[in-house]
Amino acid sequence: MTLSLGPLLSRLSARSPWLYRINAGSCNGCDVELATTAIIPRYDVERLGCQYCGSPKHADIVLITGPLTVRVKDKVLRLYEEIPDPKVTVAVGVCPISGGIFRDSYAVAGPLDTVIPVDVNVPGCPPRPQAIIEGIAKAIALWRSRL
Amino acid sequence: MWYLPVLIRNLLKGPATEAFPFAEAWTPPRMRGRIAFDPGSCALCRVCARICPAGAIQFEKRPDGLEFNLWHNSCVFCGLCTIYCESEGLHAIPDWHLSHYQDEKFDLVERAVVRFEKCSGCGKQKMPAPLPLMRKLYPGVDAKEMERLRALCPQCRKAGEQKGETP
Repeated sequence: MTLSLGPLLSRLSARSPWLYRINAGSCNGCDVELATTAIIPRYDVERLGCQYCGSPKHADIVLITGPLTVRVKDKVLRLYEEIPDPKVTVAVGVCPISGGIFRDSYAVAGPLDTVIPVDVNVPGCPPRPQAIIEGIAKAIALWRSRL
Repeated sequence: MWYLPVLIRNLLKGPATEAFPFAEAWTPPRMRGRIAFDPGSCALCRVCARICPAGAIQFEKRPDGLEFNLWHNSCVFCGLCTIYCESEGLHAIPDWHLSHYQDEKFDLVERAVVRFEKCSGCGKQKMPAPLPLMRKLYPGVDAKEMERLRALCPQCRKAGEQKGETP
């Protein structure tokens, strides 16, 4: 007997995309703001059904911070491949979008969208927690359309 | 029983969580967010492009002036340009709604053409002289005289001062 759990699972999971964050050589400013959205009750990203998870295999929305340094590029690509499809990539902060103040550095492997398909950009140095939540809300809308 | 006042106060205060994606979020009125450019008060000194640590501001040549470009996806909100802009053409406004989808990435540009002007004295092409900058250069000058000075190029202004014209 084969139960077709697929439709039920995709209907249930549409309400709870899990977040995973990758630090691609960030200064930790954006990571602090990401932590703020999760642990400070004032912002509380879990109202949107999101939860930060520790394993890329459980993730639906991946938040990438940092300018993608040469040293971390292969590791980011490896982690990105481990995230199951469908996934939505969010570039948090100015660094992954354009390079920010690290642009044209010999240690930076270019903007993130030259390596990984990026879906949503949240500029800022660092972006406000509300701006990150706005970006995550956009990512959730996109992710539901991909399910 | 000392917790009872705290409990009642917290119950009356309501939730601490901001309702942001479903309602408008409170923004400090003087927050340093997106940079807004006012082409009417740009003297084309290009200090902003030189001082910008992220290289977000660039000027491009146009036949009748210079085009100001500021890419918000590169700006780090440091506010140096607003400090160095003597003519007060750049302001950090409390707008942080900058998140966008990837296809709009290169549309987030503050862009305006600042035109060259013609000197009313010698007729040569000159840089614009915005009012906030001229007020700093010529304090205490009345409005009519200020308009006359603004229409002159620096050389004609200097020549006028040597001839003994006001100021």
